[in-house]
Amino acid sequence: MMWMCIAVFLLWMKSGGCTEKANTSDLMEYTAANFYEKLHSGKMMFIYFEHKVSRTISLFLVELEKSADALQDYGVLVGKVNCNKELVHAYCTEEWVLHTVFLFRGGKEFLGFDLDTVFDVNSIVSEVLFAILRDEVKYVHTDTDLLAMEKAARGKKDIVLGYVRSLGTQEHRSMMETAYVYGSKYQFILITGGPVLKHLGVNELSHSSRVWFLHCRVHSGFVIPMTCPLTLMRKPLSTLSLHSFLQLMEAPLVSEVYNDPSSVQPPQFPYQQTPQVFLFSRPTTAHLDLDTATTLAWRLRGLALLLLVHRQSPAVKTPDEYNAAYRLPEKSSEVKYLTLNDLDEVLELFTNQEREEEDEEEDEEEHSHFGHLDDEIAASVYENRGDLLDMDSITQLTSDNFHTAVAQSSLTVALFYLKWDAASMAFLSSFLDVAEGLTDSGVQMSAVDCGEWTDLCAAQPGSSRPIPFRPITAFPSVLLLRPQESAQHYRGMLGTEALHRFIMLSHPASPVLLSTQEEVTSFLQEVPHPKLAGYTPDRVLGLFETHRGAPLFTEAAKSLRGEVLTGLLTDGLAEKLAAEHSVDLPAVLVFPSWRTHAHPSALPVSNSAEELLSHINTALLHPLPELTVENLPSFLSLGKALLLLFVGEEEDEFGRRQNQVLVEEMRGVVELGGRRMEPYLACWIHLGRTPAGMSVLGSYLGSMPPLPALVLTHLPSRGEIYQYPPNMPIGAPSVLQWLQRIEDGTESAAGLLGEDSWPPAVKFYDFLKIMDMQEPNSAQQQTPEEEEEVDEKEVNMEEDVLEEATDSSSSSPTPNNNPHSEL
Amino acid sequence: MDSNLPCFILFILVGCVKCSSEYHPHNGTRHYDYCVLGAGPAGLQMGYFLSKAKRDYIILERNSGPGSFFNKYPRHRKLISINKIHTGRQNREFNLRHDWNSLLSDKPDLLLKRVSSEFYPPADAFPLYLSTFVKELGLKVRYGVDIGRIRAVQSATGRRYILTDQHVSDYTCSVLLVATGLWVPHKVEFVGSDLVEGYESISTNPEDYKDQSVLILGKGNSAFETAQSILGRASHVHMISSSPVRLAWQTHYVGDLRAVNNELIDTYQLKSLDGLLEAHLDKIVIAQRKEQGRTRLGEKKKEKKGQLYVTLKKFLQHQKPKNSSDVTGEELPGYYIDNFSLRKPYDRVIRCLGFRFNFSVFDSSACPPKSDNAKGRLPKVTAWYEGKNTPGLFVLGTAAHSRDYRSSAGGFVHGFRYTVRAVHRVLEQRYHSNPWPSTKLLTTQLQSWILKRVGEASGPYQMFEVLGDVILLRGSHCEYVEEFTLQALPQFSNLSGHEVSDHGLIVLVMQYGKKKIDYLGPERTEGDWTKAWKSNFLHPVLYYYDTLPTEEEMKLRPSGWALPRPKAIHHMVEDFLAEWDSPISHIQPLRRFLEHCVQTDLRAFYAESCFRSALTHRKPPLFCQQGYLKRRGVAHSKQPWQHIHDAGVMPTEQDAGTSVADPAFPNCLAQAGASKSSGLKLDS
Repeated sequence: MMWMCIAVFLLWMKSGGCTEKANTSDLMEYTAANFYEKLHSGKMMFIYFEHKVSRTISLFLVELEKSADALQDYGVLVGKVNCNKELVHAYCTEEWVLHTVFLFRGGKEFLGFDLDTVFDVNSIVSEVLFAILRDEVKYVHTDTDLLAMEKAARGKKDIVLGYVRSLGTQEHRSMMETAYVYGSKYQFILITGGPVLKHLGVNELSHSSRVWFLHCRVHSGFVIPMTCPLTLMRKPLSTLSLHSFLQLMEAPLVSEVYNDPSSVQPPQFPYQQTPQVFLFSRPTTAHLDLDTATTLAWRLRGLALLLLVHRQSPAVKTPDEYNAAYRLPEKSSEVKYLTLNDLDEVLELFTNQEREEEDEEEDEEEHSHFGHLDDEIAASVYENRGDLLDMDSITQLTSDNFHTAVAQSSLTVALFYLKWDAASMAFLSSFLDVAEGLTDSGVQMSAVDCGEWTDLCAAQPGSSRPIPFRPITAFPSVLLLRPQESAQHYRGMLGTEALHRFIMLSHPASPVLLSTQEEVTSFLQEVPHPKLAGYTPDRVLGLFETHRGAPLFTEAAKSLRGEVLTGLLTDGLAEKLAAEHSVDLPAVLVFPSWRTHAHPSALPVSNSAEELLSHINTALLHPLPELTVENLPSFLSLGKALLLLFVGEEEDEFGRRQNQVLVEEMRGVVELGGRRMEPYLACWIHLGRTPAGMSVLGSYLGSMPPLPALVLTHLPSRGEIYQYPPNMPIGAPSVLQWLQRIEDGTESAAGLLGEDSWPPAVKFYDFLKIMDMQEPNSAQQQTPEEEEEVDEKEVNMEEDVLEEATDSSSSSPTPNNNPHSEL
Repeated sequence: MDSNLPCFILFILVGCVKCSSEYHPHNGTRHYDYCVLGAGPAGLQMGYFLSKAKRDYIILERNSGPGSFFNKYPRHRKLISINKIHTGRQNREFNLRHDWNSLLSDKPDLLLKRVSSEFYPPADAFPLYLSTFVKELGLKVRYGVDIGRIRAVQSATGRRYILTDQHVSDYTCSVLLVATGLWVPHKVEFVGSDLVEGYESISTNPEDYKDQSVLILGKGNSAFETAQSILGRASHVHMISSSPVRLAWQTHYVGDLRAVNNELIDTYQLKSLDGLLEAHLDKIVIAQRKEQGRTRLGEKKKEKKGQLYVTLKKFLQHQKPKNSSDVTGEELPGYYIDNFSLRKPYDRVIRCLGFRFNFSVFDSSACPPKSDNAKGRLPKVTAWYEGKNTPGLFVLGTAAHSRDYRSSAGGFVHGFRYTVRAVHRVLEQRYHSNPWPSTKLLTTQLQSWILKRVGEASGPYQMFEVLGDVILLRGSHCEYVEEFTLQALPQFSNLSGHEVSDHGLIVLVMQYGKKKIDYLGPERTEGDWTKAWKSNFLHPVLYYYDTLPTEEEMKLRPSGWALPRPKAIHHMVEDFLAEWDSPISHIQPLRRFLEHCVQTDLRAFYAESCFRSALTHRKPPLFCQQGYLKRRGVAHSKQPWQHIHDAGVMPTEQDAGTSVADPAFPNCLAQAGASKSSGLKLDS
């Protein structure tokens, strides 16, 4: 019933638009008193203050007059005040007002519109409604924002997403009029193209407006990962088409009937213009049939209504040979029967017609689900499939040459890869870059194609000599091989820079034995390789009275090789350095790259190498880190809540200084908070250096807040995200108070972290379902009787040429005599 | 006898090794944990696995060397198992897909190609190869031990098999592995079957068939091999058996007629006096004509002596004495049907009906029943090749072919070398509690690993639809078990020693299409991955089960299927090159299937995406968890990294008070970031 009312309402508005000329003779002209009276009554008014009439103005006035009727339906009074006759203060005196028309609401000025943006009925109605609905209709610019909106709407509201190629058009108006009516029922979103269109798989260059319906409210039985399933409106955007589209979205996905399709009623109001598709169900496969119907119904959504006919009902007379039927609205209500091999055939029935009108991109969209690589690494490798990788710069290790090749060089870096593993191939080109940079460095860069040298990668010795590593089961893997030593696994980022640095840092021995003061100084101050100029490595020194006790440190140093520079001091030199830093022997001094050498952290020598390692690693962590793509994992693994400051890119020295002040304030928070700050890791992200942080911030808060922004996230076992009040200056005491309020539960969350489960992003291609459809029973379990039949069939199939030639009457079914074969 | 010397030496060597531990009295009893009966390819293959596992075993062989069957057979001395040496690949596992003669071992060069480079090697090469195999691996074989009786006894320590040889010496074994092959010629009894020569004893000299008319019973490879060898000498070669010729290239079964032997099909179809016929052998009669109606003197001499006529049982007149196979003219079909196909007599009738298992040495306590298929010529065994009703007795090699008779390669070296390995793994688990070898993989690595197996594994490729890889899903990781015997799947946990968790399992099988098609016609291949289930050629198929199928489900599996209906199935579309590694057609659909099975997004992400999802979610996707969060994120490769070093001269002020993180770091990243688009495109 509600639908009926809305439809009538919309139709009436439409007709109102057509007949406007007949019943509006003159634009409502307000006197000052009249104006004030209406204003103070809180009415919405759209008023132009007329000073002098130019050609442009008079044209506008005609359009304004036309729009009066349309806007009246939305409770907006349209009129003008003639400033030559009446004097409304300010509006009739200011010069700039000449080119502006005003919207009043709630007794005051709500918004001014430049006459350039409101030039005809459509633009006036759309812009005014857009202004009125600005809390209801969201404007979304990025895919991240859209995702955030979807997240917010999930389980609550469906989303109507509109792309209008420009504002103030008929299409924009249709969107707004519909939003006015359905605004409380659906979340309306307007996009302007760009990344969101791309995200939706639409070529930006296509200029047609589009509307999507995002099914966010209910999602039973349909896998929804990040996004809500969406249906594209296929008809051109108009108020009426949008209206009927929305109605269709409300129609049940699949209706089950027990009548023959010919006796099923044609669709009733408001769906009378919609085709019906019938599929058939049998009791034995009822569940499956419903699944199939549901899958198809999703694809037909907005195009046709799907009905599932239960064959077991005696009223169903459709012959078994047909497995589908349909009824088109415009033709007589005759039902057409079909035998389908493929669900796509149904889809074609209803899309063909439109397909002709649409351009190619539509095709692409249809196939994008299957034809496009949705894995970003696989896709980028695939994009570069035309480029040949130049493998000449590296040694190809094989089962045959492995031992000799490794023996030849003091350091061999070996990449184990699989050609079909996208991450392997993406990294291979980085690896080749590193190799190029390392020519003539004495490092042998090499690769093992594990698709070919399967026994080498499985560490199966072809000869008596053992393979110095364990079977490789993860790809890509990088091993550092030195003659007569067991292999060292590279555990860093799979990227050019990180690998290069690692190889350079693993050049010196680990630990280096330091025996003079000069060596110590140089160890602490010089970079180990000219190629690393500009990079400050972390350093660790072991101080021991003798070599006794050093094995533990040596073991730890070995596993730090490539990441940290380690040195070992003994005897007098050790004592001297220990005295300098006022520690007792034995001791381990850690010199993190972020601190001056004057203040190392001193660690006691632990009981085990692992313990020592973890102490060293902890000492190396910055207390107030700038989070980057590379270092985030080290800090996340601490398991602390993140007190995370986002700062923007500085344009000048002033900005730089300001950002520094902000970081200092954060340091203040840590210092002032003391032990209270222990569950938190204060950290910051520089959006200029780490642009990936932008979408993080956007997704935390639903939109981009002004910078700097301080949030608290990753609270243990909680998903809430809190935003520090944006208008409040960031200062240590107030931040601590804010944290206290959060702990007390008096702050409300600004956002939520996403779930920790990642269901598949795309539904898999269900071969079983397709087999069941195209060759029913071929994939079904047998019933015990069937099983026996099989053998007999084989026998009957055998022909007996000789017998036939002799006496056909005597040929009788012979016992199963399995023909022999040769063994 | 030619290869006697090395074998003799070997025997002495083996004997010496053994003499300390074995006492050799006549009539004495020696005990072994494992007795392998027969030193043919299957016995030696099992010997290798037992030796590698350092088990107490002995291989008993009645002849003086290994693989003695091949000293006589095939009669025309050409093996039709391919020995493809050049594959363009170095992958040893892959190359076994095209080497049908070699046995499995960890010596990469212990392959048949060492003794023969021919594509179809001469038969003599095979025993030679087997001797080399025994020698290099030091297998314990005792030759000249002819076991005449096998019985089982139940004792307190369990069931034992007692083997008695020609010297009445006993061998007792806890486990008996019967690898005796098939060597008893298969005969069909019918009237006149005594007039028929056997494949085992016919002359292989074509000259002996000059201008003769020959009828061959059978249409298998030995029949065709025989036909082919006499084609140039005999006048007529007719072949008869109950069913039409089955061509291996149509049935994908190597036991059916191989193209290497099929010249007679040509001459038949080109109408050159040769022919094929179908009849049930137990309905025909081979007979000589009775000397009757000698009214005209000398006429008898015109007819060649001993010519053989074919007639049908129903035309025989019953009052004849049983043994006599002579017939009168009224008993010949030509008398009733004037254009009867076989109305002319033959000079020879040759039986080429293959071989049967020798059941005669088994005492009733140890005798496996006869199989239902293969005309009962084979013993009936369980899905893990244990004799039905004979626990601890396993049948290996050709004799175990009843499991996949006429469907897969289990009756042939290139097939049973894998089933022998599977049996050995069953033994290790059952008697030594060593679970089947398995590989633990991160779930994000599973796809690559499957592609690796699909690209190289020879076991499932040769033993298609019989052996398959089982992947036990365990959440973030999985356990990969290779080459399990599919029919034993309900017993998986028991046989393999691996438990199935409630995450379920995936079984990877190679299989052919089930449809009869025009095998050389235009419709023979499928290229569209969405129609992969219609693939006709060998292609990988993955079955996903949430629990192990039961015996009942296995029994009632869909007709023609190797496994019961799974929860989900995935066919990887057949590939002309048999390389299943195309990103769109093979890899992505596979990933989506795996994602469905583990209910997790398995896509790979660059470090930057992981960074985003790690910060916006409580946990990032699995790939990021297992890579990025372990500090092994994948960086974009298109970084202008060289510039980093050029621009590397950074102010190295190290002021503890004000320094905010390593200045070199962010600078690098700023450069990296500049070349990429950010996630949040504000104005584009």
